[in-house]
Amino acid sequence: MTTLADPKAERALGRRRWLGRLRGGATSRPVWRQPITVVALTILGGWLLLALLADVLAPFDPLAQSPDAYAPPSGTHWFGTDSLGRDILSRVVHGARLSIPLALAIVSLALLVGGLLGLVAGYVGRFVDEALMRLTDLVFAFPQIILAMAVTAAFGPNTRNAVLALVIVSWPVYARVIRSAVLSMRGDDYLNAARLLGVGPIRALRRDVLPNSIGPAIVLATLELGNAVLLLAALSFLGLGPRPPAAEWGSMVALGAQDLSMWWVSVFPGLAILTVVMAFNVLGDALRDRLDPRYSKGR
Amino acid sequence: MSVSPRRLLAGASALATLAVLSVSACSAGGSGGNANGTAKTLTVNTSFVLKTLDPGRVYEATGLTAVHALYDTLLTFKGSDVSKPVPALAESYQASPDAKTFTFKLRQGVTFADGSPLTADDVVFSLNRLKNIKASPAVTVSGLTVTKTDDSTVVVASATPDPNIPVVLSMPSTAVLNSKAAKEHGARDGADAAQGDTAQQYLDTNSLGSGPYVLKSYDPSSQVVLEANPKYWGTKPQFSRVVLRNMDVQTQKLTMQRAEAAEISLDISGKLLDGLSGSLQTSGVQDTVYFLFLNADPGVSAVTSNPKFNQALRAAIDYQGIAALYGKGAAPGAGLVAPAFPGALPAGEESKRDVAKAKALLAEAGLSNPTVKFTYPAITYKGVDLGTVATKVQGDAAEAGIKLELNPQPLTTFLDEMRGGKSPLGFTPQSLNYPVADSLINNMAPGQATALRSGWSVERADPAIVAAGKKVTATLDLAGRATAMQEWQRLMNASSPYLVLASNSSIVVATTDLTGADYTAAGWQVDVAAVGRK
Repeated sequence: MTTLADPKAERALGRRRWLGRLRGGATSRPVWRQPITVVALTILGGWLLLALLADVLAPFDPLAQSPDAYAPPSGTHWFGTDSLGRDILSRVVHGARLSIPLALAIVSLALLVGGLLGLVAGYVGRFVDEALMRLTDLVFAFPQIILAMAVTAAFGPNTRNAVLALVIVSWPVYARVIRSAVLSMRGDDYLNAARLLGVGPIRALRRDVLPNSIGPAIVLATLELGNAVLLLAALSFLGLGPRPPAAEWGSMVALGAQDLSMWWVSVFPGLAILTVVMAFNVLGDALRDRLDPRYSKGR
Repeated sequence: MSVSPRRLLAGASALATLAVLSVSACSAGGSGGNANGTAKTLTVNTSFVLKTLDPGRVYEATGLTAVHALYDTLLTFKGSDVSKPVPALAESYQASPDAKTFTFKLRQGVTFADGSPLTADDVVFSLNRLKNIKASPAVTVSGLTVTKTDDSTVVVASATPDPNIPVVLSMPSTAVLNSKAAKEHGARDGADAAQGDTAQQYLDTNSLGSGPYVLKSYDPSSQVVLEANPKYWGTKPQFSRVVLRNMDVQTQKLTMQRAEAAEISLDISGKLLDGLSGSLQTSGVQDTVYFLFLNADPGVSAVTSNPKFNQALRAAIDYQGIAALYGKGAAPGAGLVAPAFPGALPAGEESKRDVAKAKALLAEAGLSNPTVKFTYPAITYKGVDLGTVATKVQGDAAEAGIKLELNPQPLTTFLDEMRGGKSPLGFTPQSLNYPVADSLINNMAPGQATALRSGWSVERADPAIVAAGKKVTATLDLAGRATAMQEWQRLMNASSPYLVLASNSSIVVATTDLTGADYTAAGWQVDVAAVGRK
């Protein structure tokens, strides 16, 4: 992960510049027209569509049990059935309804919390900055998944607590990025000018600081979406995610992992996780390539 | 910094490669060692549950298998029959009519592996040590007094009538140690033995018994090696060497599929048996029951304490379907006593599903769409994922209009909640510590410790159940006890908070060249000394 800590680079990511970079310069195509990004966007669009239309598209009720347990993939059950005779295709499709919105929720909450704290730390400075940054160090000191497990285990395993746990482990990244962006512009003339004109700190943060520092955090958030899907699935795999019988990809993989000779039980939800995570990562990488001058050099 | 997905992926693929490599290495070793047919080694693959090989402290499955092969007990069980103990170190015994005093006549000419003779002193020392070091298995002998009348006669007396003492004295923890050698290595049998006894470390790596095998090496994380005892008094075992190997269950399945000869696996059960090569033999006895418990305390749940709801849930469950989830060797639930033990309900008395009746009962009770939190441990037990079974129960109940909210918990949290007695509805497996079902009455009859955890006090219970339970403990002959036990279970099935879903078994999987690879519910899983070649 990159923190974009280089002050020069930070400054280059001014409000107008980062939007301009997305569109591409005179010589290169806009980021959303590069082939790999198009593929990623198509995959994500497809998953979003599946999530929205799950009730229409899924051939069976994802929770309906049938005596037809462990049926291999066939014309009726394209992805086969699991130990309780539930249709895996329907469960994978309905799983998108959990994984994608929850990943979005985790990342936006973490961005909100981390962003706010980063803004405050960077703008106020001194002991507030010190205290908040030591707090981020504290969170960084733990392996992400272990801390998330500890939090969910302490609060009790369910969807809300899994999301909460992942927000707790992922906000510091955003706090760091935003703080460094804020630090890089702290002495800038337009901020001083605004202050001389009588603009209060809250208004200055909202009007000047936030719009100029949010760019790198947005890129980071896109990259982190894939990570959020993966972490949520990992928690769920360990039995700390949404309560059963919810169709969640991680718990479906866990069910299949008990006996790998019934490969279809874990492979299809696994592929769903793979495609979504890859697509988010490709998209995030493409955005970063464009927005971070250190990555766009020599291209 | 967070772990990048790329690094995670690299780590995962490295792990996968390692796993594949280790699997192939293990199975190559397994078949390579026994392929030529001349080897005298029996390999037993099991996922180790092993803390000690000290008979006074052994309580875990793998330890019991080894201790049973290293030591002798006064009585024992042969093969998979646990209905009646047979002579071992004692060639005969006599019970007093009040079932309080048991006199054992010791076999002559038995020596320990070091050549010294086994006497009544060794028996008294070993049983007193077991009782006084107060480790986990001590509960089975806590009320017993052991004395010798002469060098070949031992008297075991119980404070309360207990016709099951012969069964207790067949358990591996009651093994007889060479008392002289044991004392030299720190073993004590006095009242202060709990503090004074320091023999565990020695007994973990050396055996001081008279059993068919002696301990060659002990590594609780990888393997335990036994070698035939040249001075064994009984029929010498056919395999001169037994290796217990620690192996996870998926690897056991792969290994057994490639094994050619002289190999046994103890943990492949339930659905894992599907797809196993037909050229292997299996043996199992249904010794574990799985039951739901409904809280009978209206203060905890007005729904589960309603007798009509209890009846409705019983009628809503698809017992056949649940037994199918458990795979080969399972049966739909009948009573709390597992089929392996005396006193089990006979075939034909399994609970049956009747959704219409369930709906009618709910209507009578005035409960429409009752919702109940359903707590269970998120574990796999004997090859069965309890979450899968709970989800099936949820689906069955939903068809009758009962909504169960699944609440999986880590095992320790589940046990805490169960002890707290605040779960409206729970689900748990139950295996017995020794093959006597009477302990169920001491725990699960109204007003007893386990029953109170479900809020089932004597006042809330049918007086007939209380009387039937008392009748079981008052009956001193074993056949009469078994019949009384069946009566008790029939009444329990009518109105107790316990709802038996299914019973299943651990399974011994063995290569076809072996004989005597029988699973036993006696605790030691398989008698390795009885395993031979065809």
